[in-house]
Amino acid sequence: MYLNDQQKRMLSGEEGVGVRKAMEILIAKGEAEGAKRMVDIVYAHLMPADTMFFPYGRQGKWSRELTGTLTEGVTHLKVPATMEPKFVDLEKAARHMEFSKQLVAEMESIMKPASEYYESIGVIPSYTALPFLIFPTKFGQHVSIAESIAILWYNTMLGSRCERDDGVTSLSAAITGVYPEIGVHLSKNRYAEVIIKPANNIDVTQFNYTDWDAYSLAASRKCKEKTPVFIDLPPNMTFTQKKHLLEVIAVESGLAIMHIVGITPEANTLEEALGGKKPIAKYEITKSDIDEAYQIVTTATEKSVNYVFLGCPHVTLPEFQQITEIIKGKKVNPEVTLIVSTNRQFFLSAQDMGYVKTIEKAGGIVVQDMCIAFSGTQVSGTIATDSMKAAFFYTGFSSKTKRRVRIGSIKKCIEATISGNWNERS
Amino acid sequence: MKNRQIQGRTIKKLGIIEGEAVVSRDLIAFWGGTDWETGEIVEIDHQARGKNVSGKILVCPAGKGGAGDTFGYFYLYKSGKSPKAIICNKAQGTTLAGALLTNTPMLCDFEENVIDVIKDGDQLTVDSDKGIVTIKKK
Repeated sequence: MYLNDQQKRMLSGEEGVGVRKAMEILIAKGEAEGAKRMVDIVYAHLMPADTMFFPYGRQGKWSRELTGTLTEGVTHLKVPATMEPKFVDLEKAARHMEFSKQLVAEMESIMKPASEYYESIGVIPSYTALPFLIFPTKFGQHVSIAESIAILWYNTMLGSRCERDDGVTSLSAAITGVYPEIGVHLSKNRYAEVIIKPANNIDVTQFNYTDWDAYSLAASRKCKEKTPVFIDLPPNMTFTQKKHLLEVIAVESGLAIMHIVGITPEANTLEEALGGKKPIAKYEITKSDIDEAYQIVTTATEKSVNYVFLGCPHVTLPEFQQITEIIKGKKVNPEVTLIVSTNRQFFLSAQDMGYVKTIEKAGGIVVQDMCIAFSGTQVSGTIATDSMKAAFFYTGFSSKTKRRVRIGSIKKCIEATISGNWNERS
Repeated sequence: MKNRQIQGRTIKKLGIIEGEAVVSRDLIAFWGGTDWETGEIVEIDHQARGKNVSGKILVCPAGKGGAGDTFGYFYLYKSGKSPKAIICNKAQGTTLAGALLTNTPMLCDFEENVIDVIKDGDQLTVDSDKGIVTIKKK
């Protein structure tokens, strides 16, 4: 592939070993996908293994070694960068999630120097799963994003261009400031192939937030790896509704982009989203598809609930409002641990608005900067959550343990927090 | 029966690999969807749940999962439970990055749908230099 003089210099090792390795990684990816050249990126969102991916035990050692190899001699990044949440809040949350003192100390010994390093090379310590709130880029700009919902958000909501990047690729892109022109960085690969629409027997205007997760799961099971265009959805969907619609399809499909007619900048009309071509298929999401999505994710059979985890991705202010409306003046059941996980921006606002105090007064824990989906996988007992993305992780990972999960609206989750029992009809 | 050959596109030239096919008809995730300690596919309601990818040649439509999927594949590789090669219809970004990071041969973009022409237990010879898979039926 073609490299300009500056890119050749980075590859030569003149700017250090880490820069050369980053260039090699991006060239390998580019050549694998037939890229003709590199494009300049304006921003990257990083996903470091050593702060987020179970930073203890042998995988903690592997992640530290990997970062060491990739960042040798790297002292700064070429573009602004933010980063993913940490694995767990070691002070406020870890002891309530069955992590021993010894494990907390071990995690600290890996996560702390890692965070300090990333901050020293200029990474904005955002620790957020919703980076588009901090660094919303413009239409047509190239970025490298390692966070599945954010990848969809940058492409689908902003019209910026990013592939499905991971921790290694996004770090390489941030170190060099470039990315191979592949996949949805090219206009021809951005068009929709299949149509998704609500059937007559569902009314999306009556959906609670978790119903959007179910809609998203049902859609991803139909479109699989084909790029969908969603039609007949309300053009005035709120931020929180969009978060729920995107979060599930982001992990359940291999998609970097989806289209929503009337919302996606490249989908003012259905024809525009399809690029003038005929769709391969048209799918309707029915009431039974929605019900099936809830059934798939529910793996618990007993009624009692031990953990209620909210905030995958991070809890927004309207969600805080729903939580506090129900929990105000009540107490978290002694058998239940409630963790409400958000980002720094929403935490500060939630504090100002009294939400944090109300939840804490009831006996709940409100945290920022952490990934409740990953750390939540390590608890025993039944988990209730409002997020089907989180449930994907809670029910996964281990062939030995069968984790029990309940899925439902914030209302159902908070009622279970208070009573200690899941009530399907509440 | 005569061995069948299918032509695809190779991600990286890493020589010739032989092994037994394990087929996932659903998209596959390595971070969460697969147990990196054992190589077993553990995702609920997944077509290939209970199958093990360790030491096999994985055949699937494409990868899926969160952006962490590359690290999932890396951990699977480090624990010695990764597949010998990946044969897929579409080389999804995070899976591609995992294959490159661990030097796992990966082939994609065949004319046929790979999950229809290859079955569990078929003996495969994967020529990652030429992008050719030779299928010897079980």
